[in-house]
Amino acid sequence: LNAAPGRAPRQRVRFLPAPAPGGGGAAELVAAKVPVLADHPLVRGPRFRKLKIGAGHRLDVKASGVFVLGIGHGNKLLTDLYNCHLTKVYTVGGLFGKATDDFSDTGNLVEKTTFHHITREKLERILAVIRGTNQKALLMYSNIDMKTQEAYELAVKGLIRPMGKSPPIITAVRCLQFALPEFQLEIHCLHETQQYLRKMVHEIGLELKSSAVCTQVRRTCDGVFTVDDALPRTQWNLQSIQEAIRNCQLKVETELEKTLG
Amino acid sequence: RRGLGVAAGPPNTRQLLEAEEAAPVFQYAGKAARRKDRVFVWGFSYSGALGVPSFVRPDAGWKKPRRIQPTPYRLETEEKISSAACGYGFTLLASNTRDITKVWGMGLNKDSQLGFQRSRGDRTKGYEYVLEPSPVPLPLEKPQQTRVLQVSCGRAHSLVLTDSEGVFTMGNNSYGQCGRKVVEDEIYSGSHLIHQLKEFDSRVVQVVCGQDHSLFRTKKGTVYACGWGADGQTGLGHYNISSVPTKLHGDIAGVNIVQVTSYGDCCLAVSDEGDVFGWGNSEYLQLASVTETTQVNVPRHLPFKIGKIKEAACGGTGNAVLTEEGNVFVWGYGILGKGPNLIETAVPEMIPPSLFGWSEFSPDIRVAHVRCGLSQFAALTNRGELFVWGKNLRGCLGTGRMEDQYFPWRVTVPGEVVDVACGVDHMVSMVRSFT
Repeated sequence: LNAAPGRAPRQRVRFLPAPAPGGGGAAELVAAKVPVLADHPLVRGPRFRKLKIGAGHRLDVKASGVFVLGIGHGNKLLTDLYNCHLTKVYTVGGLFGKATDDFSDTGNLVEKTTFHHITREKLERILAVIRGTNQKALLMYSNIDMKTQEAYELAVKGLIRPMGKSPPIITAVRCLQFALPEFQLEIHCLHETQQYLRKMVHEIGLELKSSAVCTQVRRTCDGVFTVDDALPRTQWNLQSIQEAIRNCQLKVETELEKTLG
Repeated sequence: RRGLGVAAGPPNTRQLLEAEEAAPVFQYAGKAARRKDRVFVWGFSYSGALGVPSFVRPDAGWKKPRRIQPTPYRLETEEKISSAACGYGFTLLASNTRDITKVWGMGLNKDSQLGFQRSRGDRTKGYEYVLEPSPVPLPLEKPQQTRVLQVSCGRAHSLVLTDSEGVFTMGNNSYGQCGRKVVEDEIYSGSHLIHQLKEFDSRVVQVVCGQDHSLFRTKKGTVYACGWGADGQTGLGHYNISSVPTKLHGDIAGVNIVQVTSYGDCCLAVSDEGDVFGWGNSEYLQLASVTETTQVNVPRHLPFKIGKIKEAACGGTGNAVLTEEGNVFVWGYGILGKGPNLIETAVPEMIPPSLFGWSEFSPDIRVAHVRCGLSQFAALTNRGELFVWGKNLRGCLGTGRMEDQYFPWRVTVPGEVVDVACGVDHMVSMVRSFT
């Protein structure tokens, strides 16, 4: 960053003595534009000595996926994005037949159960119940008076969302793959933590009269940022970062305007 | 193998894997695990209509009387209940078993609408309030062969439909709603009389109770009615009472009716071609699409252009129909389900399917049934979810809150709801467990 050509030095008009035409005698003052000495690179030093980097929504050690970072002035946008309360999309993988103490497959084993009675239909039924209870929670925590016409219209369009603090709410869930003993779910949620998603997988196992552990939590979308915008480890260099910022600028601006007005 | 003097240390990966392999496997659901059928009740409990005696008379010192049960509460029943009906402060549960006890009743019994419930203190008198589901003694000729198909409850009378012995009626008969001659100054409390009705043109397949009248639908598609007729709800062409079930004509003559419904003083009937006919009270614009009069005593065809109608439900002041595509249309007066601004309409208005859980992620959600209480509506989706809306009288909506609900709201029931019966201030639902 520091090697890139910086700002051109400021120019100032100074009256410099110049030798008079025709030689000898008094010097005349001639106006000339000269660069300001204070802007000289040797005086100023390197342009960037440290960078302020802020992190967006938390992603814990055992999970993977999209992680949003803000650089410099972008940190202010981060707070605004947090106040938008946009949904995040996760791909959660689970395994039937085991129960561990921290709900993931690397924990201490608590119990092993049978799982041959589980069918995709039973899993879909449990997912329907999860959708139903979370829909109710969505309406309840959005702090809108249910008796107004405005609440009815927002409920019809599906735009009711809690705009303040609330417990984790799942807005949509569906089963992507089901091959006993493994299964994969796509979950859209708000205000969640990855441990909450692992606990949910454990509870799905309990509801189906068996047990389940979570093998994979991968965030595929965080508000407006998707996996396509995300930079993998090999592309953590200046050019890719600058390009990514440029590509996402428009998306972020439109989303902020739409939600916060 | 460690030596005797060496400490154990934390288990390494191989030891952990071996411990895991050797762990016992628990089986919670065997081969014969079946989904269980359950009954859930909620609403006003002091009448005994919920069937839980400890809500009214607590049987333990720490229990307090519970006037209202705001969320679904499981009711233990001896048999699988196939049909339930809620009246005005009482409930009937019926099972289609061949055992001797087929119908249980609970709640108000001041007009013997639950039959004669012999009191244990005084064996000559009957109970006026029945607090837990008690067998209703039906005078069946072949009690170990007949099956009860359906029950229905009105304000103070009830009807029981059997497969081979006709219809049994019990309760108040001051307007002839039980299908027998009105006896002046008859005392209905503690009465043993249960009347049997057999003379119809073909087998009766559905019985419906309005507030003080009864409707019978036969296999051939004809409708019979008896009872109070001052609003024309009997549909017989006059405004007097009728104590003998008489066939209805008007616009439904010759039409094959596949469903009738009523709960207050207005009645609706659906034909096999998807048309809907109405008669009875129209003070709340229920029939205002065809007539300005407030009482209609002859069935009239309601020309709605909303598609083929599959099911209809009548409430006290509002009506709802379900079309073949799975959309719900409401009209009438009161809280209709489209926000606080829509209080009355004479023309059916559709409730947006997104309120029933339809979205891009679940595009195949459809409403499968609609039911009406006196001022509430209930809708069941094909995924087994129950949505309610309307006036929340004494917690009868089951949402857990005491406020009225202006648009469809999910009721959290631990199971897949198969059927629901709505009353004035309580509801009963038949639910299958998930696994």
